[in-house]
Amino acid sequence: MKKFYLFIAVALILTVLIVAFVPGVADTVERIFQQYLGRAAR
Amino acid sequence: MQIIGRAIIVIFCLFLIPVTAVSTAAVKARFADGPNRVFSGGPLVSGELHTGPDPDWSFVNSLPTIEMQLLKPSLSRRIWTVEHDGRLYVWSGYMGTTVGRLWKRWPVQAERDGRAVFRIEGVRYQRQLQRVQSGDILEGIAAAITAKYPSQTTRAAIENGEVWLFEAAPVR
Repeated sequence: MKKFYLFIAVALILTVLIVAFVPGVADTVERIFQQYLGRAAR
Repeated sequence: MQIIGRAIIVIFCLFLIPVTAVSTAAVKARFADGPNRVFSGGPLVSGELHTGPDPDWSFVNSLPTIEMQLLKPSLSRRIWTVEHDGRLYVWSGYMGTTVGRLWKRWPVQAERDGRAVFRIEGVRYQRQLQRVQSGDILEGIAAAITAKYPSQTTRAAIENGEVWLFEAAPVR
């Protein structure tokens, strides 16, 4: 489990960095989130 | 039991990854000059500030969305709009559901303080949002909305609070 927690920690840090700094990724995340939110709100 | 406990932990940890991605995108949006899609953007900064008499708002009927920022809080969002009878309207659906009320907080904020800035085709307009809840004019506005968008908005939906409709009136 220790290795798994380490993997998750690294994955979370990478996720933040990629969404924050790689162009277009934040937009893609927002688009996917919008689809789920739209369905949930109906 | 230990296997089930671990499985729950693993699922929770993996679930954190998309949650983190969405949270990061939402925070990033707040630093932008205007909104993108669903997350609130920062204040509308760029664009000439319109002065003088109101334009003929009918041009918005050919635009899919406009940008709207409330002054309190100074967050912006992309929003549907329609012109009817020379007046500009914005609205929010989903106000009859719990998820919708959590998602769409701007209507409540706008009812509290209706001062707003719109950015339409790069020009900023200062407006005062005034909620419209009743009246025969709702028929015409609902018809204009459904003619422009794939929307189920009706006079009844506005009157019973499922849709919150605002006129974007001039600032006095």
